[in-house]
Amino acid sequence: MSAGKCAAGAVLVVVLAGVALAAGPMRKDLHYKVGKHSMVSLNNQFGAIRVKAGAPHQVAVTAILHSGKVEVDESRSGNRINLVSHVLPGSDEAGATVEYEMTVPPDASLTLHSGNGLIHVENIHGDLMMEGNNAPIEVVECGDGHIHIRTLDGKVSLTNVHNGHIEIGSMGGDVVLSGVDGPFVKVNSNSGKIQYDGDFADSGIYDFSSYTGNIEALAPPTASIDVLARSNNGLVQSDFSLEPKHTPFAAKVGSAFAGTLGKAASSVNLFSFSGKIHLKKRQN
Amino acid sequence: MTCGEFEHILPEYIEGSHSPEQQAHLMSCAACSDLLTDLNLISSQALLLRESDEPSPRVWNSIEAQLRREGLIHAPAVSRPSWHESLVRFRNPWLVPVAAAMVIVAGIKLYHPAPAGDRDATKRTPAPVVAKVAPEDTVIRKAVASRPLAQRAAYEADLDRANAYIHDLELTVRNDPSDVYNQQLLINAYEQKQVLYDLAVDRGMGEQ
Repeated sequence: MSAGKCAAGAVLVVVLAGVALAAGPMRKDLHYKVGKHSMVSLNNQFGAIRVKAGAPHQVAVTAILHSGKVEVDESRSGNRINLVSHVLPGSDEAGATVEYEMTVPPDASLTLHSGNGLIHVENIHGDLMMEGNNAPIEVVECGDGHIHIRTLDGKVSLTNVHNGHIEIGSMGGDVVLSGVDGPFVKVNSNSGKIQYDGDFADSGIYDFSSYTGNIEALAPPTASIDVLARSNNGLVQSDFSLEPKHTPFAAKVGSAFAGTLGKAASSVNLFSFSGKIHLKKRQN
Repeated sequence: MTCGEFEHILPEYIEGSHSPEQQAHLMSCAACSDLLTDLNLISSQALLLRESDEPSPRVWNSIEAQLRREGLIHAPAVSRPSWHESLVRFRNPWLVPVAAAMVIVAGIKLYHPAPAGDRDATKRTPAPVVAKVAPEDTVIRKAVASRPLAQRAAYEADLDRANAYIHDLELTVRNDPSDVYNQQLLINAYEQKQVLYDLAVDRGMGEQ
């Protein structure tokens, strides 16, 4: 083999290796030192975002970029960190995907936007603002702050979230709240179902409403609640024998009910235009 | 014969005037056949009301007022007996139940409430046609026009749902302006459209 052919072969190998590297996933690691109550914002059009509590004063981000046609733009201003997946022209959805894993201080506040990838947040006690088109949104073991979620058709699930000021808006995505309580819990859904399984604790206001989506709330026999429930065109049922109370609307059997249970510490409002409403008793 | 033509001659058909062409259409069209079955059922049930007490003039007046409000009848150009006076004068024993049946059938045909718990309601019964497209709808559609087809379709469906919610609640609130709970639902419906708008134009939370 001539020297020329050897050189050409070597160049080919280098080029092919470069192409392979450019086409495959690339990992990017970012680390920041932050103070108390830091704020992290991330806007990612395609791909999952997973956030967990880590060491205090440290934000660590691992981004897996699925191609060279997407970049991670970062900026920092004091305690505030902004990350954006910057999709370059000519990229398709697969190429524009970035998977993020982050650890942030437990007291950090997060603003997360995802187009269609999962958003999963765990053990964070700062304010959480999350939104997505079809992105499923999961919040686990969080609380003590404001939790605002807006989604079009992604499923939203909150598990063991306490003492939160919670507002969830969903068009078609189901909303499942399990072990959730706080001074204010509001879910506004269009066609998505709303399911609540908790204690209606904290002397809070629990306000669930929908257009066509069904509302199902599961409470213990010992719940202390003041309930108003009405569906303009759907069936309304309660497993509890509530103490009747005066309402400004006619509490017709099958379409509305109102009453109190225990000391009526929390206010529970279940309203729908045409969805079914069922207040269920949890069997302990 | 088309379904529209058949519906046009339906009153004559019920009274017993059947042509071969109408019979043939009825045999081949399940929708018209069902409609006729429903109408006959309602008529037969309504006939049971024949012996009931005569409705008071107040009842006729309120029905007339309702039909006028909905634009189904109009005030006469020249002075003449009101429609219910004519009806009272000329009605036969069967006329009341048949009129009631016709009103019920018209109601069934014109009103399509979203079924309980039906998340696909707006796919089968799209939002009522609105004569004027809201400016924000145009902005939303323009904003998502260049997005992938599936995402665009999802926005269209969500926009229909949001508009259907607003439309139904506006009607409900108009019928009973004192109901604060329906007013709150209407506010919620507008909030949903706001979310749709913000996500379409990519305006994140907290941005104004």
